[in-house]
Parts: sequence; structure tokens; C-alpha cells
Amino acid sequence: MADAMNVGVNLEAFSQAINAIQALRSSVTRVFDSLKDGMKNKETLEGREKVFITEFQDNLQSVNRDLNELERLSTLVGRPSESHPLHNSGLLSLDPVQDKTPLYSQLLQAYKWSNKLQYHAGLASSLLNQQSLKRSANQMGASAKRRPKVQPSTLVLPPQYVDDVISRIGRMFPDMSIELFRPNGTSAVLLVTLGKVLKAIVVMRSLFIDRTIVRGFNENVYSEDGKLDIWSKSNYQVFQKVTDHATTALLHYQLPQMPDVVVRSFMTWLRSYIKLFQTPCQRCGKFLQEGLPPTWRDFRTLEAFHDTCRQ
Amino acid sequence: MGVTCVCQVPLAEGKSVQQTIDILHKKLEQLGAVKQGNFTVDCETYHATGNASGQPTKLLYVMHNSETPLSCLALFEGGPCLTADGNFDVLMIKLKSHFQNAKGHKVESRGSRYRYCDFLIKVGAVTMSSSARGISVELEYCPCVVPGDCWNLMKEFMQSFLGPSIPELPSVFATKPEGLYAPADCVDTMTQYLELFSKVRKQQVLPGTTR
Repeated sequence: MADAMNVGVNLEAFSQAINAIQALRSSVTRVFDSLKDGMKNKETLEGREKVFITEFQDNLQSVNRDLNELERLSTLVGRPSESHPLHNSGLLSLDPVQDKTPLYSQLLQAYKWSNKLQYHAGLASSLLNQQSLKRSANQMGASAKRRPKVQPSTLVLPPQYVDDVISRIGRMFPDMSIELFRPNGTSAVLLVTLGKVLKAIVVMRSLFIDRTIVRGFNENVYSEDGKLDIWSKSNYQVFQKVTDHATTALLHYQLPQMPDVVVRSFMTWLRSYIKLFQTPCQRCGKFLQEGLPPTWRDFRTLEAFHDTCRQ
Repeated sequence: MGVTCVCQVPLAEGKSVQQTIDILHKKLEQLGAVKQGNFTVDCETYHATGNASGQPTKLLYVMHNSETPLSCLALFEGGPCLTADGNFDVLMIKLKSHFQNAKGHKVESRGSRYRYCDFLIKVGAVTMSSSARGISVELEYCPCVVPGDCWNLMKEFMQSFLGPSIPELPSVFATKPEGLYAPADCVDTMTQYLELFSKVRKQQVLPGTTR
């Protein structure tokens, strides 16, 4: 660790230089002590002066020697690396009050965690990219690098076209009525009423189905301020299950180039719920399993199964 | 408010009303139902006075249900019905001259309320002037509003805890199998209770039962 951080510092010379500083300090102290003590008691004045001067000279010479030694060692010590590896965060570690403000250790933990998160996210994205999950058509190709990311053509359909497609699908099925609202901008929100069985709210993004929530026929679809309530779950377990299945269905029916076919398939699938309470399960023949009727509808054959009975 | 079916359950062999009710409770708890409190349904009879002689006295029934504690229902058998708030009872007292309360004929059903998945099951002991006369079971399937759709489903459920004694399709259902069950004012449920109570009133007192 010492080598990695202090590349240019010679630790041996460093400790010797510290010793040399101590020696220099003590010899300078000796000089001033001898000056302070003055002349020692001797028989003659010349004797005292001579002793004093020799002592003084000795002390000054030792100071000189020590200073030269220190200068020699300081050239050997070298400079610490210019770039402080810890930058500003390293200055936090110099704060000794660890109990009250453990900033540096927390900072290190946060950094390690975010590094790990980035690594895992990278792994996850490489795994997920192996299968394309895009439901909309994208104009990728050689021009992707030159042009900035263009909106896929199927995501910017004019609202009038969306209205036409929805009304055409609504007319296809006599026992299903579809009302179109646009409470927030251009995204359509459909209220699908299926006979007297259920009401489904389908949130769209141009012609792609984004989200759906299914509630009972006698439940309130509007929130207190009169708008469509697209968030609260149904009060009944059977419709909570049907909501989960409908979400599975909207992810299952995918056709990037022809979103109106997708919407039509989804509505056909949803329509099979008109006999939610009347059909027994195709596999076990019973109506109820754990208190729930058969809520699963097969995507191809539209047969009814209990959630636990489906293959 | 979903489709509700009210039926009378015969007593188990050699058991009293309370014991049969305990057996039903145990079966429900085995299925996984959760007890959610108690319920009461009662019915008072009033004779309409002031009728021309020769005509049978019309009977007015005033019913209360703990599901809708703030309202009460007044109906003639097979005739029109009225939903009013709780003060209707006070009004009936004021109308003493036109409607006489037949005090001995008050019938009520009291018991526990269970919830299983989307079903509400109420098992109650039917009593008339503090003598137990029978057991009533009310089954409600909340998500469905069309009786014709879910009758088979409800029958299957009743079979799982009532055993072989499954009732017939209630007459209220027969009249409107495709129509919407009366929403939120439980007229159809109370009509079924009224039929049950009338049947119980006509029955003899059950031998050896005390309350």
C-alpha cells in the first residue's frame, strides 16, 4: 500500500531525515544553552574566554554538520506523487473524530456499494439484451449512429387514427363496450365494459397497451374528483387475479409492426371473460379452487382454467 | 353487494340448534374462512287496521339488517316495498292507529359472519319469541351481480360445507336470472329472509329445543 500511494517517497531516507532533524534541533539547543550558561568558572579570564569560545565553536560546527546531513537526506527523500490519489475525499479521512462523524467510512461504503450496483446492472443488461423486449418497431441500422434516436414510427400515431381503430374494434363485439378518454395528454385510456361481469381500464401509449386494471361490474371506476381511477386495485380477489392475467396477456400479444392486430387479439382474449362465473375449469371440471373460479384463459384456445390448473 | 342466497338448514341428526351451528362453524373454519363479527336480521309484523270487512288483513313487515344498519325495509308480502332510514320505526309507533304491532310474531336471525375469499357466509339461529326455531344460512358471492351466472358456482361452494342439503334456486332468482341483482338496498335478500321467516312461523315449535 505504501508503494502504491507514495511512489516517489523513500521511506528509509525519510526516517533518517527525521532523525537528522532531531539531531539538528538538539545541537542548536546546545548552542543556545552554552550561550545562556555563559563562561564557566576558571582561574584566569583568558582561560574562561578560551574555553567558552572553543565550546561555542564546537557547538556551531555540530550544527553545521547536522544541517549538511539533513540537506543530503532531503534530496534523497524525493517528492510525494503530485496527484493525491484520494483528492478531496481523502481530506475527510484526516478528521479524527470517528465516533460522531463517521463520514469517511460511510463514504467508502457508499462508493463500494455503488460500484457493485453498476457491475450487477451491467451484467443484467447484457443478459436482458439477449432477447429483444421492445414491443415497438424501431428504425435501427447504420444510420443509428449518425442520426439522433428517432421515435419509432408506431409510437407517434395521430390520435384520430387511434380513435378509429378503437371504435372499429368496439363495434366488432356486441357485448363489449369501449369508451375512450384522454385525461392526460395524448395517451388514450379505455374503459371496457364487458357485459355485466367486469370493467377494465386499459391505459394506452399510442396504439400499444401499457397497463390494465380490471374491476367488478359493481365497483366504482371513478375517483373522488370525477376522473377515471386507474390505480386502485379491485376489492375482490377474483378480479385482482384477472388483472394479473390481463397484464400477462398484454405482454404476450406482441407484434411490433401491426399494433392494431395486437389490440384486437387482446380484446378478443378479454372478451372470453364474459362467462367468468359460468364456466368450469377445463382440467379439473370444478367451478371453485381455493374460492376462485377459473380465471386463466389460454392465449390460443381461450379455454378456461384455474390458475393452479393451467399447464 | 353481490348475489345472495338465503336458505334454511335442517338440524343434524339428534343435535340441537346450537350444536348444528357449531358443526357448521367448524366446517367453515376448516375450509379457511375467517370470522368477521356478528350479524342480525329481524322482522316485525304489523297488521293494517281499518280494512273493509271481508278483505284479509294486510300484513306489513318491517325488517332490519346489520349489513345496512342505518336503513330499514318495509314490505308487503308479494307487494311493494320501501327502503327507509332508521327513524321509520319511530314513524310506525306514531302510526299505531293504522298499523298494529303483532308483538309475539317478531322473528330474528342472529349469528356469526364469515369471509372466505370473495364469499360472505352468515350462519344464524332463527328465533321467535326467544325460542330457537331453525338455522338460516346466507351466502353472498360479492363479485358477481347476475344470479343466473354464478348459481352453479354458489351451489358448489354450499356443497362443500353444507353437505347434501343444498337448497333449490330461490324464487327471486327465477324471476330475473339475467337481470342485475338489486344493488345496495338488499331488497332481494330481505325478500328471501321474509320467505324463510314465514316458513319458520308456520312450523311447529321444534321438540326439545330451548334457548
